[in-house]
Amino acid sequence: MNEIPVFFLHGLAYAGLLFLVSAGLTLVFGMMNVLNFAHAAMYMLGAYFSYSIMMHFTGQFWLSLLVCPAILFIIGALIERFLLRRVHKFGHVQELLLTFGLAYIITELVKWYWGNYPLAVNIGGFLGSTIQIIGITYPVYRIFIFLCAIFVGTVMALILYKTRLGIILRAAVNDSEMTNTLGVNVPLVFMGVFAFGAALSGFAGVIAGPLLSTFPGMAQEILLDAFVVIVVGGFGSLGGAVVASLLIGQLQSFGVLLFPKLSIALVYLLMAVVLIIKPSGLFGEEQ
Amino acid sequence: MPLILKQYHLNMLTEIIIFALFAVSYNLLLGYAGLLSFGHAMFFGLGAFMTAVAIIHIPGLALWNAILIGVVTTIIAGFVIGSLLLRHKGAYFALLTLAFNALFYAVATKWHSVTGGDDGLSITRPDLSLGFTSISMASLTHFYYLTLIIVGAAIVFCWYFTHTAMGKTVLLMRENEERMKFLGYNTNISRLLLFTFTGAVAGLAGSFYTLHFQFVSISAISVDMTTAVLLMAFVGGTKTFWGPILGAFVYIILQNYLSNITDRWPLFMGFIFVSMVLFIPGGLSEVIMNIRQRLFGKKDNNGGKSAASEEV
Repeated sequence: MNEIPVFFLHGLAYAGLLFLVSAGLTLVFGMMNVLNFAHAAMYMLGAYFSYSIMMHFTGQFWLSLLVCPAILFIIGALIERFLLRRVHKFGHVQELLLTFGLAYIITELVKWYWGNYPLAVNIGGFLGSTIQIIGITYPVYRIFIFLCAIFVGTVMALILYKTRLGIILRAAVNDSEMTNTLGVNVPLVFMGVFAFGAALSGFAGVIAGPLLSTFPGMAQEILLDAFVVIVVGGFGSLGGAVVASLLIGQLQSFGVLLFPKLSIALVYLLMAVVLIIKPSGLFGEEQ
Repeated sequence: MPLILKQYHLNMLTEIIIFALFAVSYNLLLGYAGLLSFGHAMFFGLGAFMTAVAIIHIPGLALWNAILIGVVTTIIAGFVIGSLLLRHKGAYFALLTLAFNALFYAVATKWHSVTGGDDGLSITRPDLSLGFTSISMASLTHFYYLTLIIVGAAIVFCWYFTHTAMGKTVLLMRENEERMKFLGYNTNISRLLLFTFTGAVAGLAGSFYTLHFQFVSISAISVDMTTAVLLMAFVGGTKTFWGPILGAFVYIILQNYLSNITDRWPLFMGFIFVSMVLFIPGGLSEVIMNIRQRLFGKKDNNGGKSAASEEV
């Protein structure tokens, strides 16, 4: 009986991670109609850069949390500005292929530089310990992940709904041509959102590394789940990403407990069901 | 060909023919119909596994039947999956195919009583029985000829398909679907038929894959396998029929020779791929046609009108 709260908390932690990765993905897709396969590669880079920072430089986790997203922000901006924009005129298929190819190359580069095996990142101190919560002993780190996700989500919501920048962003997601016509520098907005998404993904990677272990397959591992989140939640919808992350986080967590053999399929089944019933996702709009 | 090639090269050539079929089937979706699928390996792998499973579990199974089982299963799978997925466009469709491919892979991994899981399944090639005589397929030369004939015929059939009414419907659908609908074509059925057809062809390629290597593992149904065929089709060139064939050739040759030089040869392939996406979206076939045009002037290639000759 002690298992249920533990699995529930596991579900929350994973949901938090999923949200961090999918939030950027859904905004980029809603805005630019580009499904960014490289998004998960950014996540992976975040984890690996964090590993390097911690193992070879100063070993401060807080430093990674700040530096890695910044690096990824720059990388994301460069990718958007110099690569993605170039293929935009060729059409959607081309854009998809580019992000796919980029993800492939990044994965190979990671394998080359860091090796094709898992790396362990150790978090010491308070974050690495456990605390008593609702009657069970639970690792602090997972709670930390969930709290991070809440924090980031709240900040994003505040920006999107309470500031002028937010209005511009939401307008660009909704109808980028019109927004452009109204005088907003939409290409700059695109670059900014893409870069921010990359940074967010990298942040998630930094956090996920110690938990899920840092290895070259981690991009693919989270990519599918993140895709399911944005399909279920609705492309472009942040609220949808929240709900869907929670749903899938718990599904994964309890799925492993209740249906160990089917657990992988459960998530895909959910996606299939949502697509059949409401193809635009729970909170998405008809494209 | 076996007369002038060594065993090792014959092996590779057979592999190339098989993958050429796989890539051609993929390009019917990507280059002709404009449908980007990230899950084509599920049909390839399904065909591969069904053939292997059939040979293992049905003693004395004829070669034809083993292949047939592979193809029939993929026809059914293609139809069912196509019906579910084709109502969605573009990125949704691509994602769904990816998810289904991953699903197939996961199921194949878990179900190791049937699929052999990580270990894979080994088979021996059944003999080819032609009624009046039986030809052993154990010899690579014999199998090469079989592949050349059957798979070669399949490739030719695909080519023929692109010139049939149905094939052209599919091609035109990519250009302007709205207009096709106004003209009375049921685009959904066309797409579904194409998807099923290409799935079945991929399944055929998969069957031969198993027969060629006499072994199949979950890698045949993995997203990595889809990535490979995507690279082959795209690098070869999606705008021509023969592009993917060239792509398969280049990919397998590179894979064989580069992997002797470096462990990181996929990185090299990746760079080529991305460079082409950025600069030469038509792939190698576009490069070749450009070279031909420069050398021979305004020569028509592939039966199509080049822009230059139209201006004249």
